[in-house]
Amino acid sequence: MTAGNAEAASAASATLTVNGLSHWFIDPQSGSTVHALDDINLAIQPGEFITVVGPSGCGKTTLLKILAGFLKPLAGEARVHGSLITKPGRDRGVVFQELAILPWRTVRRNIGHGLEIQKVPKDVRAKKVAELTDLVGLRGFEDHYPHQLSGGMKQRVAVARTWASDPEIILMDEPFAAVDAMTRQTLQEELIRLTVETKKTVFFITHSVEEAVFLGDRVIALAARPGRVKASVQVPVPREGRTWETMTHDPSMAACVEEVLGLVRGEHEATLASESHANADAEQAQET
Amino acid sequence: MTVTVSSSGSAAQSDIERQLVRDRGKEDRRGRIVGSLLAVAPFVMVVVIWWAIYTIFDPVPTKLVAPSKVVDAFFELIREGTLPAYITQSLGRLSIGVIIAIGVGVPLGWLLGLDKDVASSVEPMLRFFNAISGIAWLPLAIAWFGFTDRTITAVIIYTMIFPVIFNTMIGVRTVPTVLRDASRSLGSGWFRVIKDVYIPGSFPSVMTGLRLGIGFGWRALIAGEFIVGGGGLGFLIFNSRTAGLTERVMLGMIVLGAVWLLIDRLILRPIEEFTAARWGMVRL
Ligand SMILES: Nc1ncnc2c1ncn2[C@@H]1O[C@H](COP(=O)(O)OP(=O)(O)O)[C@@H](O)[C@H]1O
Ligand SMILES: [Mg+2]
Repeated sequence: MTAGNAEAASAASATLTVNGLSHWFIDPQSGSTVHALDDINLAIQPGEFITVVGPSGCGKTTLLKILAGFLKPLAGEARVHGSLITKPGRDRGVVFQELAILPWRTVRRNIGHGLEIQKVPKDVRAKKVAELTDLVGLRGFEDHYPHQLSGGMKQRVAVARTWASDPEIILMDEPFAAVDAMTRQTLQEELIRLTVETKKTVFFITHSVEEAVFLGDRVIALAARPGRVKASVQVPVPREGRTWETMTHDPSMAACVEEVLGLVRGEHEATLASESHANADAEQAQET
Repeated sequence: MTVTVSSSGSAAQSDIERQLVRDRGKEDRRGRIVGSLLAVAPFVMVVVIWWAIYTIFDPVPTKLVAPSKVVDAFFELIREGTLPAYITQSLGRLSIGVIIAIGVGVPLGWLLGLDKDVASSVEPMLRFFNAISGIAWLPLAIAWFGFTDRTITAVIIYTMIFPVIFNTMIGVRTVPTVLRDASRSLGSGWFRVIKDVYIPGSFPSVMTGLRLGIGFGWRALIAGEFIVGGGGLGFLIFNSRTAGLTERVMLGMIVLGAVWLLIDRLILRPIEEFTAARWGMVRL
């Protein structure tokens, strides 16, 4: 638990802190309890880009929902700048796994939605929306409705919308999962550039280890059932100027990917094992 | 932010996507013209069959009359002014029904959509009354209000309000919570969440309820006018039968269908095209 101590030591200056956080659900069909998160401790520093990887169902989305303020944890707490998170706020922008852009708003009005809520004057809003539309490569689609766009294009609208309202913290839940490989690499590089430039604090969920290492200052590997922090891995290369080009030729990055992959792969096998051999579960718990 | 734009890869992809979107628009327009031609053809066929049956069987006038006699009756009643008056009367009654069904049914539907506890306690009762058609209430309504407009109006409102309540409730309930969450993270208070998310999100379903309600209400209205009398298209049909004027009976029937088509094409459809269809939430 050395990682845990490090977290505690740096908690005072942190932007986001999570202390002894646990959460569980009662499965409505069987009535059994699903332990989604178990004693999570985290401290995310200002301007830090944290990526979170773990097998599906390990509680990544649940953790994000708690940080966003949509869900109250059943034990422990989550804080932003020291104050308890109880509801959503404009300081924490969210890019959802389900995209969650409004079908009845055009691309332009979706991207400008946050600014509209903040009552930003029309001309300022239009300028900022135009900038972001260019940035995510959607120029010419401003007046299209979401159903007229491909999955990748909708995703870019969702990212641009969150970006437009300029939150201090951005929480992203597998935002590039539905995007084709080419666009994904472009978006990832743009995201690095933007976050380095604007020094935003980012909590980024992915199931791709390569994406996690490429984007993050630090990669948090989660273990499943119940979801725990298995390890926190510092990425050896500074984020500034990272591109896929340089990353593929950097042996230290490759080693980092291997390390995280090992953590996650071990976890994945453990999950499969616990699914197929319920009896073996207790044994394994004793071993680890 | 001063960031320049992206790789040639995604630009090329955008061009393809742009072309696809444009082609889809072209197809829509061509489809619409062909569609209207295809919609008129069956009507022509019905008139031809009607005319053929009339010629072959040569029935007595109480059973069937020629299309031309109905056309004559149409111009006669227009000249007399009775047809416009009856249409106005029926539409007036329907409009009162619509206004009250929206004014009462939509808020009630919203309440049920937002509050699960209220919904689960009230829903069985609503379903119970929904199953008793408005027309079944006519005897009691006549006993209470007499052979008056109030009886007809009460029956129309009763008939229209249930589909509006149920569909509004479903509409509000099925707005994805993630859309609400997204707006709240952008800084929305509850007022903006209602305005930006729940009202547009439930709107297509409210329209469905209204369309059903107006359709049911239109039928109930005719039944009410049959029995209560006092003018209107239902009265025209019923009264003409008693007088043995088959051409007026058939004219009344045709006007019922035609007025509904006009309501649909001039009011309901344009609203739906401007909202749900444009948002990709229904295909018209
Ligand atoms: N609302 C809910 N009700 C019941 N179980 C839930 C609910 N949300 C999530 N779970 C369960 O909690 C676990 C973690 O879910 P989630 O956080 O979505 O995982 P991830 O995002 O890592 O795939 C899963 O086993 C999931 O089935
Ligand atoms: Mg998830």
